[in-house]
Amino acid sequence: MSLRLSTGPHLLHKESTQTLMLDVIIALVPTTAAGIYLFGSKAAWVLAVAVVSAVLCEYLFQKLSKRPVRVMDLSAVVTGLILGLNLPAEAPLWLPAIGSAIAVILVKELFGGIGHNFMNPALLARGILLASWPARMSVYFMPVRVLGSTSVVPAGADAVSAATALIRPQGYEVYDLLMGNIPGTIGEVCKIAILIGFLYMLFVGTIKWHIPVIFVGTVALFTWLIGGDLLKAVLSGGLLFGAVFMATDYVINPMLRIGQVIFAVGCGVLVSVIRMSGSYPEGVTYAILLMNILTPLIDRLTSRRVYGTVKQHA
Amino acid sequence: MRLSFKGGIHPLKEMHEGKNRSKHQPIRDLVPGKVSIPTDMHIGAPSAPCVAKGDRVKLGQVIATPVGGIGIPVHASVSGEVTGIVVRQLLNKKPSTCIEIANDNQDEWEQLSPLGDVETAPADRIVQQVKDAGICGMGGACFPTHIKMSPPPDKKVDTVILNGAECETFLTADHQLMLEQPGLIVDGLRAIMRGMGVEKGVIAIEDNKMDAVKAMTDAASGREGVSVAVMKTKYPQGGEKQLIEAVTKRQVPSGGLPSDIGVAVFNVGTAAAIAEAVALGKPLISRITTVTGAVNTPSNIRLRIGTSFQDAIDFAGGTSEEPGKVFAGGSMTGIAIPNTGVSVTKANNGIVVLGKKDAVTPEPTSCIRCGRCVDACPVMLNPQRLKVLCDMGDLSGAKKEHVMDCIVCASCSYVCPAKLELSPTFKEAKEKITARRI
Repeated sequence: MSLRLSTGPHLLHKESTQTLMLDVIIALVPTTAAGIYLFGSKAAWVLAVAVVSAVLCEYLFQKLSKRPVRVMDLSAVVTGLILGLNLPAEAPLWLPAIGSAIAVILVKELFGGIGHNFMNPALLARGILLASWPARMSVYFMPVRVLGSTSVVPAGADAVSAATALIRPQGYEVYDLLMGNIPGTIGEVCKIAILIGFLYMLFVGTIKWHIPVIFVGTVALFTWLIGGDLLKAVLSGGLLFGAVFMATDYVINPMLRIGQVIFAVGCGVLVSVIRMSGSYPEGVTYAILLMNILTPLIDRLTSRRVYGTVKQHA
Repeated sequence: MRLSFKGGIHPLKEMHEGKNRSKHQPIRDLVPGKVSIPTDMHIGAPSAPCVAKGDRVKLGQVIATPVGGIGIPVHASVSGEVTGIVVRQLLNKKPSTCIEIANDNQDEWEQLSPLGDVETAPADRIVQQVKDAGICGMGGACFPTHIKMSPPPDKKVDTVILNGAECETFLTADHQLMLEQPGLIVDGLRAIMRGMGVEKGVIAIEDNKMDAVKAMTDAASGREGVSVAVMKTKYPQGGEKQLIEAVTKRQVPSGGLPSDIGVAVFNVGTAAAIAEAVALGKPLISRITTVTGAVNTPSNIRLRIGTSFQDAIDFAGGTSEEPGKVFAGGSMTGIAIPNTGVSVTKANNGIVVLGKKDAVTPEPTSCIRCGRCVDACPVMLNPQRLKVLCDMGDLSGAKKEHVMDCIVCASCSYVCPAKLELSPTFKEAKEKITARRI
């Protein structure tokens, strides 16, 4: 009889990186379904290419660099899916393919793989695509479902292509903003679906409420201060999607609760400032990316009082 | 409102902390054919054997005498012939000197002279009686109890807490003891209070043992200065520092002792042993241990000190599948044993058998900074950052980040989705820092 020797704990929590990623994917199902419902098969193709490209890139990179292949942790699926949901449905299919390659290889694997990236891979990839192909990335289309037709978008038709709902939110009713009957990327338009995903992640404990709620709350507070339409500001653009699914990326937000609060307030302030005076209509991507960069600094400057000690500054 | 502390986890929640199978199993007595009693069970210098091979010893007779300031004697846990004094590798780092006795089943006692009823026994003799009875902390640490009962004169203890939290997974021994002998536990608490000159005694129990709360409350009614506190079921509620925080809202200073803030904590099993020593003159020769996991009859067993794990497992119906791992204690901080020939000690509150499948530890992957360890840490450390520092070999950096305050409760390791060995790393770092005086 041979007995295994090891130090405790001898039994561990069932949760693993893989189950956490699976929960994020489950939380993204309503958003994905709504996106495909609203934008039709084109959206499905964009999402499929984004996910397959992300997984394939990770597999090939790990294989070729002779590292353990970890695609089964599902993090590449999450990255690909989130990137795809950040693209317009009308994007040519090479766009998600390149975007996922950038996200997985450039942002994640080259920095050491999962847990070592300093920005959210999908977000930075979106930022790079936005800077490289602004015309394809910043023109958003009205969902085909709203137009009542699944036919090809007529060239040059203003009624179809509109800049994001943010530019003229007064043009849409709250109901439409909630249901996703507005122009935007595949994943950001249907707020109800995002909120279902948020509640799911809260319920199973994937994330805590602090970052999304404080992030969105800060934007709401700013809007109120400048006398804007609070509800529409919150429900417009990529704010909810970014706050729920991207600002909560564990890897690039602070470890301590106090740091997470600073991070979320920072995101909210930056989004508000960019929305008010930036040249981009939508600031969520850059706001989160900027706060990602500040995360190590926030971690360094925050501390909490250890049991039995007097609070000291780091 | 249940008393609690900040941080912590609820381990094995989906399987009721692993306690269900042995819960409410009446305490049974196991009298083994032979015992092998280690002389180094307690913290402090090992005791020196004072018997020789071939001697006949009585039950309760001193077989090893204390060495140094904080030592305690060791008593024969069966009567019979000393068959040898051998050196064996047990659970301690260094090999242990063990006194082996073949049981003649005569159960011929040699007791201490009793001090009488705990309420009338001479208070100034209680501490010495506790020492002579060889009592040490039976919750797991085995720190000599008479030392704990004698804080330095400048430290005024005002509260004694009895630890009935039993927050470790799988263990039900304290629970069953509280159900079966609540009066004995309260007697022990009163003896401690009188011996230390303390007026307030609190028996702290987690709310997953409400029947024990009732039994202890009934037993405590009408007893001077004794009350029962109900605490939230949370790990490590029974950790000394967490228990003190929950009950008194005071925190033990970093690097300090409970007596610094006027508190002393004893396990309920220790209290029962103290009551028997004071009132009946019985030295510590047995303890209650939960034997569970992959065994056929999960049990709470009163085991003679020095019984082999194998005898205890056999008494619990034997293993129900091929064992992959056996540990002494619960699954959070229990110590894995190399073979089932090792001896039950005074500190041994549990014997848990895991099958081959459960004995496998998953392979660690990369940290994803999810922050679960930060939320779990009951000491408010940042385990993620500490692990990075320890892995880089920056021990003085780890010390600055308070690694020495880590209580090695293993909560961080338990919740880590990347399956990183956090708490073993910190335990090692603490040992290195102490050894190298960093």
